[in-house]
Amino acid sequence: MLKDILEGKPFRHPLHPLLVHFPVGLFFLSLLLDLASFAFPNVPGWVRGAYYSMLIGIITALIAAIPGFVDFSDIRKDHPAKRIATAHMVLNLIMVAVYGVDLGLRSSVLDAVKTPLPPLILSLIGIGLLSVSGYLGGRLVYDDGIAVGRHRRRTDTPEETLRFSTGDFQEGAIGETIFVPIAAPDKIRDRETLRVEIDGQIIVVAKFEGGFFAVQEFCTHRFGPLSEGVVKDGNIECPWHRSCFELRTGKVAKGPAKVDLKTFPVEIRDGKICIAVPRSTK
Amino acid sequence: MNGLINFLKGKWLGHPLHPVLVHVPAALWPGALVFDLLSRGHIGGNAMVRLSFCAIAVGLAVALLAVPTGLVDWSGIKKEKPAWKIGLYHLALNLVVALLFAVNLGLRVATFRDATEVLPIPTLLSAIGTLLLMISGYLGGLMVYDHGISVARQSKKKWRKVAEAGGANVPPEKEK
Repeated sequence: MLKDILEGKPFRHPLHPLLVHFPVGLFFLSLLLDLASFAFPNVPGWVRGAYYSMLIGIITALIAAIPGFVDFSDIRKDHPAKRIATAHMVLNLIMVAVYGVDLGLRSSVLDAVKTPLPPLILSLIGIGLLSVSGYLGGRLVYDDGIAVGRHRRRTDTPEETLRFSTGDFQEGAIGETIFVPIAAPDKIRDRETLRVEIDGQIIVVAKFEGGFFAVQEFCTHRFGPLSEGVVKDGNIECPWHRSCFELRTGKVAKGPAKVDLKTFPVEIRDGKICIAVPRSTK
Repeated sequence: MNGLINFLKGKWLGHPLHPVLVHVPAALWPGALVFDLLSRGHIGGNAMVRLSFCAIAVGLAVALLAVPTGLVDWSGIKKEKPAWKIGLYHLALNLVVALLFAVNLGLRVATFRDATEVLPIPTLLSAIGTLLLMISGYLGGLMVYDHGISVARQSKKKWRKVAEAGGANVPPEKEK
């Protein structure tokens, strides 16, 4: 419940990208005022203004970190964006530490006409770190769709991809259909999903009203992650642009996607969810 | 012309430009309200009044830069999509907010050099502007996080490769 709130699900909008506007804007303003103190040394108040702006920037940065950690922890462990998110987080922690030292150095020189060099240098470093880390944060959203449409999914999402190889099964010829056991049926609850990779083929297994369905993981519009989508009315909906597909047939129920999904037969065998795939050449 | 549009859409950066630029007004205008209130609470004196003035001014300058980037992003949305209407409200509200802060700034020009606190009317304008900005910013956020505007616009090719490698059906590649 608390996690849902920190992820902004009730507001249909994640909280972290909203809160980060404040440190981004205020640290930028703080640096501008430092520079102005050199350009217009006869005008009073620059140094003090830069200090207040930075102080509120640090406070709001610390507040923004809380939903940021939650967002980070919710990214699938093997998601390619996890590394970017880690870099984003580490850079931000360093940046806030730099600004913390910066603020401390300034507190004793508030009446200076020009910002002294050491805090100014720290601010330049801070803005540099912020620019890189903010850019990475933006890439997480606009390239990798992190937190996009996440609020519509109210059940847990897969923590990692389950990997299998048909090469592990001795019997059967190449190309023959083989049922790969994935997990016990109670591994997921209704409307939850598993993300599975078999011989490189990436598949989402969804449970709906007691039945199991397997379709390709990637939406056919902009290739969003269906394992993070919503399972409803026998359909699966992409989190990114709400393309909707029938779980049973893979057919497009609602665009923007135009191409149907690949589907895979699913059976319960020996108490396991099994997905039928052709045995690979491995 | 196409080059300019692509520039404004942030193709060169690999990141849409509008959501980058709007951090500045979105932080500095509510920031100005905080500074106004602090000055009225006798914290910071004239430096706080000046800071608030600078925050509004810098916010306005960057907001103006953000306008064309927002317009090109909006023009890429099909009119029948719900996000188009949200974009329209976002646009209209932002114009009102920018206008309010422009008036707000105008009211301060004569006094900010000496005043030790921001007067009630500019403070009130900051509060109204901030409230409207929050609504409009929320609408902008909905476009991205609820409707996926600009999401995977620039990374489509990368994801197509990932999907193909993952054995997915994919649509035929379009020109451009």
